[in-house]
Amino acid sequence: MLTERHLQIFIALAEEQHFGDAARVVGITQPPLSQGLRRLEALVGAKLFERGSGGVELTPAGTALLPFARRALTSIEELHQAAVARDPEGPEIRLGLTPEVPVSAGAAVAAACSAALPGSRVTVVTAPTSSLVSQVSSGRLTLAVVLHPTVLDGLEAGPVQLLPTWALVPAGLASDPVAELKSLRGLPVAVRSRAEAPAARDLFLDTLAMHRPDGGTVVVTDERAGLAMAAAGQAIVMTADSSLAAPGVDRHLLAGDPLPTRLRLVWSQDRTPFPVDVVARLTEALVTP
Amino acid sequence: MNARIRAVFDDAGVRGWLHAVALDDAASTVSLDADAVVPMASVYKLPLLAGFCRLVDDGELDPRAQLTLEPATRTPGPTGLSLLADPVTMSLRDLAVMMMTVSDNAAADALLTVVGLERLAELLESFGLQQTWVRRGTAANLLDLQRRTGLDDPDAALAVLADNNRATPTGVYEAANASASTPRDMTLLLRRLWAGELLSAAQTDFAKATMQRQIFQHRLGSGFPHDAIRVAGKTGTFGALRHEVGVVTLPAGDAYAVAIFTRTARVDSRQPRADAAIGLAAQLAVNELR
Repeated sequence: MLTERHLQIFIALAEEQHFGDAARVVGITQPPLSQGLRRLEALVGAKLFERGSGGVELTPAGTALLPFARRALTSIEELHQAAVARDPEGPEIRLGLTPEVPVSAGAAVAAACSAALPGSRVTVVTAPTSSLVSQVSSGRLTLAVVLHPTVLDGLEAGPVQLLPTWALVPAGLASDPVAELKSLRGLPVAVRSRAEAPAARDLFLDTLAMHRPDGGTVVVTDERAGLAMAAAGQAIVMTADSSLAAPGVDRHLLAGDPLPTRLRLVWSQDRTPFPVDVVARLTEALVTP
Repeated sequence: MNARIRAVFDDAGVRGWLHAVALDDAASTVSLDADAVVPMASVYKLPLLAGFCRLVDDGELDPRAQLTLEPATRTPGPTGLSLLADPVTMSLRDLAVMMMTVSDNAAADALLTVVGLERLAELLESFGLQQTWVRRGTAANLLDLQRRTGLDDPDAALAVLADNNRATPTGVYEAANASASTPRDMTLLLRRLWAGELLSAAQTDFAKATMQRQIFQHRLGSGFPHDAIRVAGKTGTFGALRHEVGVVTLPAGDAYAVAIFTRTARVDSRQPRADAAIGLAAQLAVNELR
């Protein structure tokens, strides 16, 4: 049976002339792309591409059939759009955000979801990275913004987005607006539980220990608690959230930005394939002010 | 048991694949995604050793034959002949010792050229390994990485893999592109090797003794911190891959083949937590089988 995916493969290969690039455009890996092409060629009874030295080229049959494939795919897309427009609820996109995503960045990604996939209904939950990864794997979430690095277990992932991270310190602890991490002494750094994202947390802690061998850490439940401890003169908070503020708490950039918040989008290719341009727009939204 | 092993991998920030089997009871196993095909990294040197020893048994290779390795054409690497500045002449069996004890990339690629990819593939099939493919050595592996990163300098290409601030280029860890195997196939190879089913008594002893002399103790070995327990293994390390396969022999003589493949979330070159997780997972598996 000829499917939408076959048409996507045909058109992507014709445009990219390269198996790897076409696979990325369609949002699948190379083996299913090759398999899909073989199936399509069997279905239409003609060889559509020749493999050359640098990539693939359309055969005369491929050139002749390409316009029909384009028309068919356009019609299918119109069908989807019409169906979404008719469904008062629209398709549901369940978005997960790790708590380290700044409040405004989370909102921007949700808004970008809504804009990139018109007619969709976006619901959002916040949960630790390890929980988000398993929820995306099990299909309970459509996609999530998680801390990098983390074990992805077969999920697809977008580019790594680095968010600059500020130190929130009790007023007077540091004088320079751009502080050296090693100069922030005498107070523990507030961190969330390690089990929430072991690899990312260890990277944070190892980097912190390299720059600042003493001072230690204190485990907090969330940034709200960390900020309160900073206000009480008890802790330093590292945050990518530009809006987190409290009286008696100063905000400093860190020289060389040694502790960036690394975020990336993850989704399940089997359940919800996202085209690369949508992934790029959502990833971009993480850093758009 | 699987949940406990999984928890060890999760805590270390790694994806792990494991198979463990008692050498005297093939039905007694611990499996965690044991049939997944994973790029082997330097673990490929174990099937290469087995193939080389068989060719010696068959009289096709003379283990004492001398080979001269010129520095310009030697594969780079962190240990052994790869580090040296001048031409080195060595026997084939000594190259095998370098390849297994210090994971010498230059020695391994030279031996792979002598054995040949096609001849090795036939031998592995005859050993009953249906999910093990030695597609290329270390030099070709580096060339593939250079192609994927678009960088001419192997060190610069490896640096891309070691950057926590960016995503790994597509395909670098795809098994289909590399020498690859499954944990279950690796324990099958170890079990048959230890049982003397693949090689003559002399070559079996040589293979076992050479694996026993591996200098790396930070992975499987770290799970068995007692000199009365013997660990004979072969590690594999490339980018975020951290592997070891080997045989653990307890003081009473009971022995277990263990194959653990991992891929770490972090990409730093030193990852002691991942290394220790391999030891701990091996310990849990062996204790389950005892």
